[in-house]
Parts: sequence; C-alpha cells; structure tokens
Amino acid sequence: MRGRKKDSGEKKNDLQGFRLTRRKFLKLTAIAGLSAGTFGIDKVSPEAFATSSFPSGSRGRWIPTSCLNCSSRCGISVKVEHGRVVQIKGNRLSLVSEGQICPRGHIGLQVLYDPERIFTPLKRSQPKKGKGIDPQWKPISWDQAIEEITRKLRSLRESHIPHHLLLFSGLNSRSHEDLILRFAEAYGTPNLVSGEGLDDEAERAGRWMGDGHFEPFVYDLDHTHYILSFGADLIESAPPVARWLRKWGKIRRERSIRAKVVDIQPRYSLTASKSDEWIPIHPGTDAALAMGIAHVILKEGLFEEEFIKRWTVGFEPYRELVLKEYRPESVSKITGIPAEVIYRVAREFGQTRPALAIGGKGALAWPGGSYTSYAIHCLNALVGSLDTPGGVLYQEFPEYRALPKIEGDEIGRKGLEQVPIDFRRTELFPVARVVTNQIPKSLREGKPYPIEMAIGFNSNFMMTAPGSGEWGEALKRIPFYVHISPFVSEMAQFADILLPATTYLEEWGYEHSSPGGGFVEVRIKQPVMKPMGESKSIGDILFLLAERIPGTVTNAFRRIGSSVEEFVRFRTSSFVGWEEFLKKGVWRGPGYEYRKYSRIFQTPSRKFEFLSGNLKMLQNGKKKMMGQAAPLMPCYTKVKWLGEERQYPLLLFPYQPLLTFENGSQNYPWAQEIFLPMQGVGWASPAEINPETAAQLNLKDRDRIWIESPFGKIQNSVKLSEGVPPNLVCIPLGQGHTSYGRWQKGIGCNPNEIIGVDFDRLSGQSTFFNTRIKLYKA
Amino acid sequence: MPKWGMVIDLDKCVGCQACVIACKEENNVPHGSPEEQRSRREIFWHKMIAVTRGKYPHFRVELLPMPCMQCDHPPCVTVCPAKATFRREDGIIMQSYRRCIGCKYCMVACPYGARSFNYKAQEGKPYHHQDEPPDRKSWEPWPFPTRTQGVVEKCTFCFHRIDQGLREGKKIGIEVVPACVEACPSQARTFGDLDDPQSPVTKLLASRASFRLREELSTHPKVIYLSR
Repeated sequence: MRGRKKDSGEKKNDLQGFRLTRRKFLKLTAIAGLSAGTFGIDKVSPEAFATSSFPSGSRGRWIPTSCLNCSSRCGISVKVEHGRVVQIKGNRLSLVSEGQICPRGHIGLQVLYDPERIFTPLKRSQPKKGKGIDPQWKPISWDQAIEEITRKLRSLRESHIPHHLLLFSGLNSRSHEDLILRFAEAYGTPNLVSGEGLDDEAERAGRWMGDGHFEPFVYDLDHTHYILSFGADLIESAPPVARWLRKWGKIRRERSIRAKVVDIQPRYSLTASKSDEWIPIHPGTDAALAMGIAHVILKEGLFEEEFIKRWTVGFEPYRELVLKEYRPESVSKITGIPAEVIYRVAREFGQTRPALAIGGKGALAWPGGSYTSYAIHCLNALVGSLDTPGGVLYQEFPEYRALPKIEGDEIGRKGLEQVPIDFRRTELFPVARVVTNQIPKSLREGKPYPIEMAIGFNSNFMMTAPGSGEWGEALKRIPFYVHISPFVSEMAQFADILLPATTYLEEWGYEHSSPGGGFVEVRIKQPVMKPMGESKSIGDILFLLAERIPGTVTNAFRRIGSSVEEFVRFRTSSFVGWEEFLKKGVWRGPGYEYRKYSRIFQTPSRKFEFLSGNLKMLQNGKKKMMGQAAPLMPCYTKVKWLGEERQYPLLLFPYQPLLTFENGSQNYPWAQEIFLPMQGVGWASPAEINPETAAQLNLKDRDRIWIESPFGKIQNSVKLSEGVPPNLVCIPLGQGHTSYGRWQKGIGCNPNEIIGVDFDRLSGQSTFFNTRIKLYKA
Repeated sequence: MPKWGMVIDLDKCVGCQACVIACKEENNVPHGSPEEQRSRREIFWHKMIAVTRGKYPHFRVELLPMPCMQCDHPPCVTVCPAKATFRREDGIIMQSYRRCIGCKYCMVACPYGARSFNYKAQEGKPYHHQDEPPDRKSWEPWPFPTRTQGVVEKCTFCFHRIDQGLREGKKIGIEVVPACVEACPSQARTFGDLDDPQSPVTKLLASRASFRLREELSTHPKVIYLSR
C-alpha cells in the first residue's frame, strides 16, 4: 500500500458528499441488515464519507458562528473548503475569550462528521425498552414522524392534561432554549427540565441568598490579583472554559502584577498543577474553611469597612457567628488543613486587593452546597470584591426584540398552574428552579401526576445524572417518548420515535453570555453547510410540530416567523443589522460599568445580606416553604454520607476533565486519545488510587477492579497516583457510553452509575461526592 | 537566513492540549485507537507529557507540550541512511516521505521521541485538508500530505504556513505562526527568528530564565521553554 491515493476522480462522490437520500439510506440499511446495536449505521457512513478528489488551489472561506460543545458557547470561525468543513478557530471579535477557543472547539469537526450520526427519523419496532435492548429502529418519513408525534400532543391537550407532557432540554443554543420554552408555555406544560440541576444550582442559590441574583457567578479575571479556588477546576471544567484558559495566560504573565492562584481541593488536578499552591482539603468541608478564613479576616480587621458599612446588612450577627464558631484551630480539625496555613491564606486573601474567592462544583455539589456557595460569596463581600474591577461581576443580558405574547387558552393556563413534577419551589426544594434528578423518582411513583409523553431535546441525563440506572427505569415508564438528537445517545435508546437533529454547525441560532465576562455579547450561529442527510435543527422541528397543534401553539409560533432563521433575525433586529451580524458573527454591548451598588442588589434591603432576607421571606411567606430552624447565614454542616463507613471505607470523587464533551456523546477520537494528560492515558477512565491504599488492598497499576457502592457496582482499571489522598478514589466523568459509537462504546466506566441520588435540599442541586465505596479485584 | 524557533512559556501553559489537536487538524495527522495506544503505534507530531515527582501531599506534575525540538545539531539527520531527513537552511528539520525507507533509525536516535512511524494507510476523513498536488519531479515534501504508509513522519513547524507567508510578504511570528501557536488559548507560545534581536522570541528569551530539554546532549533544540 505504498504510494498515495491517485488524484484522478475515479471515485467521484457528490461534492456535498453527505446528502444521503432516504432511498439510499433504506437500501444501505437493507444491505446492512437490521442487526445489533445501531442497526448498521456503521455500514452506511464509510461510503458516505470516503475521500474524493478536489480541484486544488482554492483557499476556502471562513464563516463566523458559535460553538456548542459546552455551555460556554464561544464565538468560532469555521473554514469551509469545497463544501467541507476543515478547520475551526476562535472568532477574533468575541471578547469573552478574546478570540480563543478550548481544544473541544477544534473537535467540532468530529462532532459534525461523526460517522455514526443518524440522518432520518426512526421508529422503534421493539416494544420492550431497557438498557442494552436493541430498539430495532425502522426509518420513517418526516411527515409520518411529525404526524404521529402531534397526534399524541393534540390528544393530551384535548383531554385537558397538557401538563402530562414532559420536556427535557440538554445542551441547546439560547435561541433553541427560547423556542422550547415558548413551546412549553403555549402548549401548557410547566414540566420543562434542563440539566442545570446537575451543574450549578447550588452556586446560584448561594449567590441568591447574598445578593438576590439566581445566576452563576461571573468574574473580572482581567484585573484580579489573587484567586482562592474552592474545588473549582478552573482550567478544566469551570465555564466559560475558553475564557479561563485565555485569562490564565493573561493574569500570570501579561501584566505587571502576576496573580496568585491557590487551589483548594482534595485531588491534585490539572488546575492544582498549574496553580501556585495546592491545599488538599477533606472532601465536603469547604464551607468550614471559608468561614475559618472569614474568621481571620474579621479578627484582624482585613475587611473593606467602607463597603460593608454602606452596602451590606447582617454584618454583626455574621461576625458573631464566625468569631464564635469558626476559629482556625477548630476549622483545622474539620478540614485537615493546618491552622497556620489557614492564617496565611486568609491574610494573603484579605490583604491583596482585588482578590476573588471562587467556588466550583467540587465544593458545591454536596448536601448543603448552597450554604457553602453563600459562605464563599460572603468572603468576596468582606473584601469588597463585588462589582469592582477584579471582583464578582453582574452579567448583563442583551435586549432581544420582545416576543409577541402568547394568547393562552383555558387548557394551557390550567396546565401551567400545576405543580411541576420535579417539585421545584415547594417545601421539598424551596429555592430550586429545576431539580433534574428528581424526575426518575417522580416518574416511577407517578407523582404528583403520571406523565403520558416526553420529548428529549439533545438531553442525555442517563449519562450525566448521578444514579443513572434510575433514569433507565423511569424512562421505560413513559408511554410515548420522542428523542431529538444527532446520534443515538443512551436516552435515545428509550425513544419511540427518534428524530435526527443537526449539529451546531448546520443550524441557525443565537448565543449570549452567561457564562461570560459581565458585558453583553451576542454571537450568531449560522449554518456553515447544508444539514446532512434529512437532519433538521431542533428549532425547525418545533416549528413543524407547532404547525400541527392548532390553536394556541400554532398561533404562538406563527407570529415569530416560519423558521429559526427568521426567528433569529427577528429577535436580534433590536440591536444589530442582519448583514453586519452575519459577517462579524459577534455583537457586543457597551462596556461594563462597575460599582452599580444602588441598583444591583435584589434583596429585601437592596444591599448585600450576610443574613439572608430572601431566605427569611421563604420562611415567613404565605406558603411556609422552609422550617423555622433553617439557618439564614452561611454555615458548615457535616456531610451525611451514603453508605456505612465500616462496609464502604473509601470515598468516590468523580471529576470532569477538559476533554469531556457536554453534548451527550464522547465519540470523538481526538478527545479520546489524549483524554487524561495528567495520567498520560487515553481511551479510558481509570480509577485513581493512592499507592498506599492500593498496597493495602493488594492492587497494582492496571489491575481490573470492582468498585461497589450501596447502589451498584462497576468494573474499572486501576491507576496509581500520588495526587489522590489515601481515602479517595477519583474517576473522570464522560466515559462508559453504552449505546453507540465505535470510539466510545465500552470504553471506561461511568461513575454516575453507582453514585446515590441525593440533593442539596435548598437548591435541588444533585450531589456527586457523598457516596461511599469499596474496591476489590475483579 | 532566519533561524526559526519556538518559545513555550510553562507559566502560561494551561495543559489544555489545544496544541495537540490543532496540529492534527492542520496536518491531517491520523487519530489513533485503543489498540494503537496499547501497542504505541499512534502518530503524534505534537504531544503532551506529564513529569511527576514527590509523594502525597507533596506531589507535583509538570505538563510539557512537545513538538519536534528542531535541533540545530539533529541526531536524526546524522543517522539517516537514506538522507530522507534533512535540515533546511532556515533550520527546520524536514522529512522526505519519498526518500524514507522506513528503517526507524531516526526514531531511535531522537532523544525526544518526536518521531512517529506510519503503520497504516491513510483513512479518508471528510474534514481533511485536501492535498495540494506536488510537482512529481520534485523531491520536496508537500503540505497536507496524504499519508504514506511505512515511513517516519514528524512536526514540520508548519513549514507550509511559513513558506506561504514569506511568499505573501507577511511577518512570520506575528501574522503567520504554526497551528499550535495560533491555537494556544493562553498564548503560551511564541514563534519567530532566533537570530533576529528584534523578534518576539529573542525579546522573550532575554526577559526570563529559560531551558531546553536534555541540553547535555548538545542537540541545541530550537524549542525553548520558559520556566515557571
């Protein structure tokens, strides 16, 4: 096989290459046979993707659009040569990440050209549902698919139970989120469930207690001089990732003052290796440390007196609490950090201005996580790092052209009044906006009412939610499930009808921060090529569905255009011209204005509150959503572990590496082969264990082991690492796919399978780290 | 004649591996598979290695992004029996896929493991840059090569970008840089002429302590690291 492929056009494909007609698809499917797994999709793609020859000399052109491989949604520039996408780089006009993108951005090429994407609507012919059961897909036409789906949708509305429709929204564009929300409202269901309950709800709730903003934190990285990071994997998974990567270079060496970064977390992460100092902490004790640091700051008078006097309330009771209960010596016993280190770090933090305290998932996805977030928020308030250069910012949002009001009917109004099935904002989860992981329980018990039908938009909670086995059990119970995604994800395997969605490079949309940099930035998402096969964008599918649900839904969608392109144009026309937007891809609002203290605090006192008035209102409000005993100030509570210590001596600590995709798939060889740079391994998700622990258990590097928790067991391999404390087992998230993909199926394991379902009760945030485990040789 | 070199600031580097992926994206370098990783047959023109030391809790990992070091005294060139690998006048070490006989002597000689042997025929990918057909009479390497099985290949400092940039009269190191430099989100990398006292690389080197990998071997690498 020496020598190169001939340049003559002997194997001439259509230049577009991938327009797989339905007829061709059926033919190929027939040849492949409706065999195991993804019914021979494997057989289709190689032919569709075989290289062909092209005339040389063309330099291609760059098209600005947006990435969607994680929730940061960076502006990108995509190079198209001969109708094929060959290169992706950051859009230089986007200031959130200063025109840079993270490695996942480049892998968009493999997301687009994933050889196992689906290109035609599919219907299951196997009535039994379950993990590992082949759905036996049969291709159907779009018309038939839409008709079957809308027939069911119409019948729910006719029976006056629109709230029996459940919508899952995974990682979608802002424009598509807006459309899905509009669909839910027009249809009349309160049950729109996003994945945010798995990510940062505790962070938001903690912020809300202090300043009333139920938003993830945004930081002014350009000007900060000191970063104290509590379990935030700043350069691995903290959104917006590309912004962090860019600003890291900036704060270290592109200014006269180099920012110091202190990373506090149990595991020696990539962020720890790049920080100035790594302080290992006992898992789940970050709130105590934050309060201990506050103790030193208060005692030694290192706080920002002016700001506290003028713009905060509740300082005295807070000071009393901190001084009484959180002496560094006692905090040291809880956290395992020597008292002198706490003193030193607290003094550094208190004496450097501007300084930032940042809480991440590793510190917050615990029971009581919102109080931890609140405690960290209070640190920023103490040193006056709110809405200042180098401090916490208040994200501004674009003013899109307002959508025409939905003229709801009686059916829809009644539906919307129902309690959502995740029990958000009830006594169960008083502050929650969405409780993603409550869904399996509600579905299983049929409470507060049964669900007749569900639609999944790019969601894959079966991979990303703790206790993923529960999701399988629950999805089985949905009588009619429609899934929309570009590939057969784990959740898609439970679908009755599976619709092929386009990837983000083939569709229209708009994106904005947050997560961002405080200032307003809107980025366009425009197709850089025609949709492959018969795939359609989620937005366009919604327009198709709405068309056939007469009444409220049809009207609601008719008034905003006939396609996503028109919708995007309509929405953005309030601030940017269409031609300019298409060409530049980015629109930015005015610069960020600091110190807007008189109008940013959305609390009863209109000031920052060390004693949360927002929480107090919940306690004393009409609904009495919270008990009187609930603390109103930040506090540390001892973690309740799932599992007995005697039986399960070790702790499971999952983490998200940078190359874990958030779109529900991992079928991307560029990411897989260099998945864990710190461990030097790819195509795997080994359990990292301290060599001492391994010696006690008689385990060696690369041994196969069982990891067992009270909720199940998974098999994995061992990787010895000195960066892991002796009582911890660290496993990366993102692997362990079971449904499709030659580059992901059967690789590694998914720790979510054995993590118990538990919540931070206040915010509905799923906990990830409080499960006990044991190990033994497989 | 310029002498191209690269400076990598380990203090700014975030270990994200965008460089590794951007290199594969630019040069059509094939991706591997679990089997190839197990048998160490993967092709990387640019890799990231982790150097670990110490015991918990005094543990440290240093991530080193490693393209070809483009040595000024390259052992690979010395040992090649077929004169397939050679030093360009501007200092870039090139590999001629037509001359290479696949003996892997250079791979043994390279102290940095910068070279990969191509064990497999090119697998067509829709996202590959299309081959610019070379002049068949010429023995020069060409950009975006369709891979030749059975030869050794390596990083070229994206010579096609440099050559094209020079033809168009652009400033190398400022307007035109290799793919890994362009893709680095923390901008830890700088490219330029090591002989030009005004170039960004020389200025950067003058400002900070720097080191090269395995200096004791006198290979004189032109990839230089700034320490933390």
